[in-house]
Amino acid sequence: MGKFVTIGERLSTTAPAVNKAFLERDPEPILKRAKQQLDAGATYLDVNIGPAEGYGPDLMKWAVELLQGEFDNVPLALDTSNKAAIEAGIAVYNRSKGKPIVNSADAAGRIENIDLAAANDAIVIALCNGEGIAKDNDERMGYCQMLLERGLEHGMEAEDLWFDPLFLVVKGMQDKQMQVLECIKMFSDMGLNSTGGLSNNSNGMPKAIRPIMDSALVAMAMMQGLTSAIVNPNDLRLMETIKSCDVFKGNTLYADSYLEI
Amino acid sequence: MPFTAKSGKFNASINAVEFGTGDKAVKIGGENVFPLYSFDAAIENAPKVGIEITDFGMEHEPECIKKYYEGCATLADMARKAASMEGVDFLSFRMEGGDPNGANKSTEELIGELKEIADAVDLPLVVCGCKNVEKDAELFSKAAEALNGKNAVILSAKEENYKTVGAAAGLAYKQVVGAESAVDINLAKQLNVLISQLGVDSKSVVMNVGTAAVGYGFEYVISTMDRVKAAALQQGDANLQMPIITPVASEAWGVKEAMASETDAPEWGSQEERGIDMEVETAMAVIAAGSNAVILKHPESIKIISGLMKELV
Repeated sequence: MGKFVTIGERLSTTAPAVNKAFLERDPEPILKRAKQQLDAGATYLDVNIGPAEGYGPDLMKWAVELLQGEFDNVPLALDTSNKAAIEAGIAVYNRSKGKPIVNSADAAGRIENIDLAAANDAIVIALCNGEGIAKDNDERMGYCQMLLERGLEHGMEAEDLWFDPLFLVVKGMQDKQMQVLECIKMFSDMGLNSTGGLSNNSNGMPKAIRPIMDSALVAMAMMQGLTSAIVNPNDLRLMETIKSCDVFKGNTLYADSYLEI
Repeated sequence: MPFTAKSGKFNASINAVEFGTGDKAVKIGGENVFPLYSFDAAIENAPKVGIEITDFGMEHEPECIKKYYEGCATLADMARKAASMEGVDFLSFRMEGGDPNGANKSTEELIGELKEIADAVDLPLVVCGCKNVEKDAELFSKAAEALNGKNAVILSAKEENYKTVGAAAGLAYKQVVGAESAVDINLAKQLNVLISQLGVDSKSVVMNVGTAAVGYGFEYVISTMDRVKAAALQQGDANLQMPIITPVASEAWGVKEAMASETDAPEWGSQEERGIDMEVETAMAVIAAGSNAVILKHPESIKIISGLMKELV
């Protein structure tokens, strides 16, 4: 097994400073956040430009060229509901450090993003969700099958579909947490890769609590076989937990300085 | 269903490290397959073979080695002779006499001898110490300076002295730094991390991950090398992608199978044959487990191993 893949989530229009920088094509705040995440050990960077109606292709192309140019072709997850923007980003994307990730497809309105990933030899995050939150794992696994078949029909390798169980917020959906973890185990038993927005679990919690909850959940999820997550790599506790779990799982060889590398 | 052979080629590769200068420079590593798996992908740099001489000259050597150096009056003569043996890619000089608990030769004397050898031959050089970590730190710092511009391998920095040795050999004089651990894979990785944190280019680092003579805790040596290569290639661990140099002679010729005289062990047959066997078997086993270079001392062993490498790679 390879090392756990962390996808840095901090380049997102949901952060006002990033949104402003995207709109003004101001490289400085973008590069600063990208560097912070890479220095902290992120493998991929997520580039969430929002729906970006109209200007999406132009913005995504700008962001991909900016980040890959500055950071030695860092691999990226192209995160938008705007298909044309994803295609424009892939058109200028350099694959030397890893395939682009299409973020994301689901089993409802965004299923065609599977076809888009297949046509562009990209990885796709396949969210096992239809309309509304899946009621149980039978429903999630039904979507998983549907998305997997769609990918395979379009010529994808199964390893390029990263299944997302949809992490749920504890405050309000505490009773669903074990279901999500069991779903990850089912993906893993099928030999599938998996990922997801793990920090969703701690939404609405006090700032000081979130790293603790996120770290506990990532350890449990890695035990279940989770192979990647979209996280804040600048959360030191979380990154230390991931690196330690990688050691226990044999994904990386232990050395006393393992937290520094 | 037709059988489709799957290539065992990896995306990661072992670093290619060059030492020595000019036409005689040698390159080790560079492969992206398991040791000797040339059927999976071409191995550009076959494992290399070095010949070892020490500052004691022939003083402590068995007769079967001495006879090859007949007529040599100085270390320089011996170095020239060693360099002319069939199959030799590089020369290793072991400053054994520096050990404070042994002959305790001064650093000046040993560095003088090293220079004499370096002037006598144009083969790439590997410098080995006396195994006392404090004395080695001093010897290696001076050796790195004395061999400025020769792109020699300083074998090696250990956990206790890596800062001094790494700074002198890797940073000040741009030699190739050896990182030595004693059959401890976690320490092997850690030492590489520490040396690169000093600022030494990881492409100028080789490892000595420890060895033993066959039969002497050797399984552990092999499993350590296996795991180093697996981490380097399968997991793409950049902190273990340094090529491995294994000094075999000092181990293989130190055990009773090689050293016992024919008077003491008549039932074991020729001492020379036994010594060569121990050396060749140890060398071939560590090469098969991942060593990119071995250091031997009997000219016959060197001929056999270098011949095998030509056939296998």
